[in-house]
Amino acid sequence: MCCPGCQAVAGLIAGSGLDKFYDQRTAYNERPTAAEDKIRDQYRVYDEAELSGQFCDTSSDGEVAANLLLGGITCAACTWLIEQTLSRLKGVRQAQVNLHQSRLDVRFNPEQLRLSEIFAEVDALGYRPRPFQASTQRQQMRAEYRADLRRLGVAGFGMMQVGMFAVALHAGDLQGMESQYQGLLRSFSLLVASFVVYYSAGTFFSTAWKHLKQGALVMDLPVALAIGLAWAASAWATATGSGQVYFDSVVMFTFFLLLGRFLERRVRQRHAMTWFDAQSALPDAVTCQRDGAWVSLPRTTLAGGERVLLRAGDTIPVDATVETGSSSVREETFNGEHLPRWVDAGDTVYAGTVNVEANLEATALGSYRDSRLAALQRSVEAAQTEKPRLAKLADRIASWFVAGVLLVTSATAIAWSQIAPEQALWVALSVLVISCPCALALATPAALTSAASALRRSGVIVRGENALEALSRTTHLLFDKTGTLTEGRLTISHTEVLGTLNENKVLALAAAFQQHSNHPVHRAFSKIAPCADLKNIHLMVGAGLEAQFEGICYRMGSEQFCRELAPELPAPPDIPLYWVALCSTTTPLAWIGLSDQTRPEAAEVINTASSSGLQVGLLTGDSSPQALVLAQQLGIDEVHRSMQPDDKKHYVQSLQAESSVVTMVGDGLNDAPVLSMADASFAVAGATDLARTQADFVIADGNLEAVTSTYNMARRCRAIILQNFAWALGYNLFAIPLAAMGYVPPWAAAIGMSLSSLLVVVNSLRLNRLPTSWRA
Amino acid sequence: MDSLYLLIPIALIFCAVGIKLLLWAIDDGQYDDLDKEAWRILAQDEPSEAGEDTENQESQNNRD
Repeated sequence: MCCPGCQAVAGLIAGSGLDKFYDQRTAYNERPTAAEDKIRDQYRVYDEAELSGQFCDTSSDGEVAANLLLGGITCAACTWLIEQTLSRLKGVRQAQVNLHQSRLDVRFNPEQLRLSEIFAEVDALGYRPRPFQASTQRQQMRAEYRADLRRLGVAGFGMMQVGMFAVALHAGDLQGMESQYQGLLRSFSLLVASFVVYYSAGTFFSTAWKHLKQGALVMDLPVALAIGLAWAASAWATATGSGQVYFDSVVMFTFFLLLGRFLERRVRQRHAMTWFDAQSALPDAVTCQRDGAWVSLPRTTLAGGERVLLRAGDTIPVDATVETGSSSVREETFNGEHLPRWVDAGDTVYAGTVNVEANLEATALGSYRDSRLAALQRSVEAAQTEKPRLAKLADRIASWFVAGVLLVTSATAIAWSQIAPEQALWVALSVLVISCPCALALATPAALTSAASALRRSGVIVRGENALEALSRTTHLLFDKTGTLTEGRLTISHTEVLGTLNENKVLALAAAFQQHSNHPVHRAFSKIAPCADLKNIHLMVGAGLEAQFEGICYRMGSEQFCRELAPELPAPPDIPLYWVALCSTTTPLAWIGLSDQTRPEAAEVINTASSSGLQVGLLTGDSSPQALVLAQQLGIDEVHRSMQPDDKKHYVQSLQAESSVVTMVGDGLNDAPVLSMADASFAVAGATDLARTQADFVIADGNLEAVTSTYNMARRCRAIILQNFAWALGYNLFAIPLAAMGYVPPWAAAIGMSLSSLLVVVNSLRLNRLPTSWRA
Repeated sequence: MDSLYLLIPIALIFCAVGIKLLLWAIDDGQYDDLDKEAWRILAQDEPSEAGEDTENQESQNNRD
């Protein structure tokens, strides 16, 4: 077991007879943070009607229907586990989890069960429940999904019907058929095809028209033209009883194109459903002073000017000015660094940061909307609109293709009107139909879908639209430092022994001290077995710890604090590390140097990137010289230090202004604006919630090599797309002249079109199958 | 062959009913989550006996 949390969950799962979960899950869950009782208590605020009314409905028979958004759902087995666990709670009428939207709909009887207990139960399973706010974006996405499915379904039914009529018609062409029956079959084909064109293919017409009005030729234009003209020609043929009908091609084309787009969108939306919401990092309850007593209230009811209590170890819920007390605050939300900042009375602390050492009393400055965290959220939203749109390869080719096809068709029509005027219309139409860009239109979605599912299996979740295409054309690869190139946690890298105790004893003693600390330093010692118990432990906020061990007083902490006890303590060694001193009343014992370890694969990844011609850079919020040392070790030339989230964003923007294509690799909340700005972005998810990252690619297992492998995959995907285009265009170049000369019967056109599309799909599937070197 | 004049319209009526049912099912949300439904059939087993007992105790605790 990796942590007590997992153990508790595993115990709960096995104890309830639900261990089938482990057989059925298809992806590993995110690591849960240790579930503590106080976290459970936080959910009690949801029992208040004022807050729960926002996401609950009470029906006439007294049952409450609540909608929760779940963080950390990865696969279908999770939904099963949650549904099974909840539906066994007394009072729960029904529990339904929607994996696609990460949403839980639960109906329960409020007299038997409180809402907070449902929250706590879900939390105990290791998922993070939140109220589901029905945002317009989310509703729109669901509406689009259903509309896509409806169009696809109708096209599918239509395809089957028209296909049956087409078999009869083609057989009739070969064997001979009375014209009244041919007319009958054609009329019914016309009826069904017209409905499909109107209902299912209407989306192509409206998109093409929308872009045409703006002067852009997009892929939907040749699609709409082909469908529209083939339908019109066939309708004309049906009405006059002459020529050929192409209803089967029209409907089949519509169906396959809709299918390709539906699958592509499904892959993309799967993880796009969780929106960036910085607020989700904040606790729901705050402790604030009302009428002289401390009470726990929903965070949203807090107003500026109120007295709040910020407990040690908790996330600060609101921007506030410290009134009494002093502590240190970890601000990785804003600067990505894990070493805390010291705060005293009069200093400002920010929502979303963590109070490390001691309780503080502070005055809230205002509501969430005025906070620095909300500004970060707005910065992310701004970046999404400011981000330059790269023209899609398909659309660039489409504009040439449309122009070409229209030119050839007009030329054919003019030529034939000279040779045989009565045939000119039919030949020109057959050119248009045979140039039907089915394969061309499928080329990109098929390849992207295939690449995305291959990446997903290797632990990279693809969220961003067109990110693979942007990644394959990237010129700059930028990294964040802490948590991305480094592990993001302190480890002991150097121990300078000063006294008589040897290194092992010093570290064991230090570990014993750090058991009683919640400063981020303590994690560096968590793997060392502490020596015997310390007595009379005192935590000196902002300085260190003091304790009695075997009758002697020991201190561990800052230089100044230890020198008070042992004046002969020398200065720390001249290496840029985070130094902690250990001494006793009689003698200094050691300097322990801590640093954030570089990820072992980082050097290799950067090496590969620079050797494939990418400009590699480092953007970090850290101002210490360690950034320079790290960059030198890894061979990064370009280093920018002390960068705030907005500075990073502006730097990327300035690169993009020089028409560079930028890929950013980052982690955590502080990188969210720059990740949204970059053309393609990676987030090393590690401990960070999916909902809090804004990247196109999420590296779920924290292995940086995924950057290289995804880059390779993107390049290969681009190659496959180009091959697909080459084939589709080549086929057209070959078939159009034949059609222009009047040699292509409709059945040959239909077979050619289907085979051409099939080839494109099969070629794209190679991306999924090629051996990949993820863990080389 | 004249039967075609009757049979084809009948086939189209069936087709229309099929489409109507499909659209109803989509609007009803039955296709909203295609991933989970694929698993549901495998997950329908009743949980084991031990699980039932724990569950009863738990829900009693929860009521308190």
